[in-house]
This record gives sequence, structure tokens and C-alpha cells, in this order.
Amino acid sequence: MRSKGAQVSIAVVCLVLGIMLAVQFKTTQSLNTDLVPARVEELTQKLNTVTNERDTLGEEVLSLREKLKNVREDNQAMADLQEELQKANMVAGLVSLEGPGVIVTLNDSTRNLQAGENSNALIIHDSDLLMVVNELKASGAEAISINGERLTSMSEIRCAGTLILVNWAKIGPPFEIKAIGNPDMLESGLLIKNGFVESLKYLGIQVHIQKSEEVEIPAYSGRMDFTFAKPLQYKEKAE
Amino acid sequence: MWLLVIFCLLVGMIIGFQMPVLLPLVYAKYMSIAVLAALDAVFGGIRAYMEDGFDNTIFISGFVVNTLLAAGLAYLGDRLGVELYLAAVVVFGVRLFQNLGIIRRYLLKKY
Repeated sequence: MRSKGAQVSIAVVCLVLGIMLAVQFKTTQSLNTDLVPARVEELTQKLNTVTNERDTLGEEVLSLREKLKNVREDNQAMADLQEELQKANMVAGLVSLEGPGVIVTLNDSTRNLQAGENSNALIIHDSDLLMVVNELKASGAEAISINGERLTSMSEIRCAGTLILVNWAKIGPPFEIKAIGNPDMLESGLLIKNGFVESLKYLGIQVHIQKSEEVEIPAYSGRMDFTFAKPLQYKEKAE
Repeated sequence: MWLLVIFCLLVGMIIGFQMPVLLPLVYAKYMSIAVLAALDAVFGGIRAYMEDGFDNTIFISGFVVNTLLAAGLAYLGDRLGVELYLAAVVVFGVRLFQNLGIIRRYLLKKY
């Protein structure tokens, strides 16, 4: 049955097969030069981060150029310096801040001590406060205070007998930790599953998290002395 | 006959390479099984043609159904966690070699 129909159908099928083969060739080729899918995901994430970073840096370049121009024009320079100073003060914790955030209240456990249980398990330790503060920082808190003591880059949270030292001030329970930042982020950072707050609650320690549109954080009131550290002089000229 | 097959295959490949279509990585596996099934169908068709037992309907339907079935089976296997595409590879691979062997013998007898 070597009809014309047979030849036509063979021709058509061969044509389709050819197209399929070519597409497959191309795909396999790109696959070989490509990376493994898992790595692709990782790289995509990295790319996103780097892209964001580049955008931020780009904006910074623009504002720095603007400032450079202002310096040349002199009368704007003072205002720019003021702005820089304000920013540095905010970073150092030397100005009071306000903004949306959360207020976390911690208090010792009211649970009755079981036989054979150490009373240490029911009270709040300096490490507990450190963990909560760390969690807040990781969730993007911009300023934190504990019982009115502003946390600066040099603040300590340290056990001192029955009390806890923060900025060399003695504080005791109940502890009120205030943090400025995205309230939802801060709260979810604290309440993360198997997170630290959950284990505190498991121990019976009273944790109360309150989101607030207006959190006020006082300035650091102590002295800030640099006895040993001094700024490093740049050897190379920055471009 | 042979000229026709080779010519059409070449034309198809040229078209395929020129097409701006690139399969997503996820579907590359299914496409490879489909290509295998299509290859099998074509060799089966050529063999039937040489044996004078060529049936147009069987050939075309076999090509289409086998291709889709093979890809579908591979997909189903992925969903179920069974490497079903291996079954397709084995079956089509064996049949491909059988068909090729028969075609070779026909050609040897002929010339």
C-alpha cells in the first residue's frame, strides 16, 4: 500500500519530529550551560538583594551629589550638617524618638513552685531580656529602651544580684521593652513559632506584647566617652 | 522514500532551530520522552512501509497517541513519585532497536 497518502503522512510526521528534535536539542543545550534549578533559586534571591542594594546606593549617590553641590553653594551646607548631626544623634541614641512600634511587658512567673523546682526558672534573667532585644533588632527595630533606659551601641544588659543593669542603672521587674519599628514585623518576629517568647510563656513568664502607633523612647542620658577609640584616618582618598 | 524522510527531517529541524521557542526546564523531561516516542513511531512507520503493511490511520494515530501518552505517563509518574518515564524509555528503546534491526535486514536483502 505504497500510496501517495502514506508518503504525505510520513513527510508530515517527519517534519513534526524534526521540529521536536530541534526544540529538544536547544532546550538540552541551554540546560547544560545553565545551572541546577536549586542554584537558580538561590541566585535569583541573591540578585534581588543585590539589586535592592544597588538601588539604595544609587539613591545615596544622588543625595551625596546634592550635598556636595550644596557645600559648594555654602549656605545650604549648614543645613546639611545639621541633618547629618541629627541622624548621627539618632544612631547614637542621644535624642528622644517617637514612632510606631511595640511595647513588650515581661513579668516574673506567678506559677507556684513545684517540689524540686529551682526558683530561678520562674524569674526573668538578663539573658531573657537580651534574647528579646535581639529578636526585636532582628525584626528591624530602630530604637529600643528597657524601663526607660535607651539601648545604645555601648549599653549592657547584665545580671547584678537580684536586679539587672542596663546603662549601669538598676532595673527590676516588670520590664517594659519599647521598640520603634514596623509594629507587625516586630510582633511577628517575637511571636514566631518555637521562638523565644513561646519558650518564655512555656516557663510561665508573663509576656504581653502591645502594638502601638505612638511609642516614645527617651534619649540616652549618661555620658559617652571615647578614651581608647579614635577615628581611623583614611589612607586612600575616597572617590 | 529515503530522500523524502531525510529532507522532511532536515526541514523540520531548521524550522525548529529558527523557532524562538524554548521549553521551560520543568517540561524538558517530558519533551524528551515525547521525542523518543515520536522517533519510535517514525521508525515503526518506515518498517511497516518496507513490509508493505503501512496503514495511514495506524501510523498517524500511533504517532500522536504514543507521543502524548509517553509525556503524560512521565508527568503522572512525577506526580506519584514513581519513575514511570523509565518504563517509557525502556519500551521505546527496545522497540526502536527492533525496528532498526528489521529495517537493516530489509535493506541488506534489497541491495
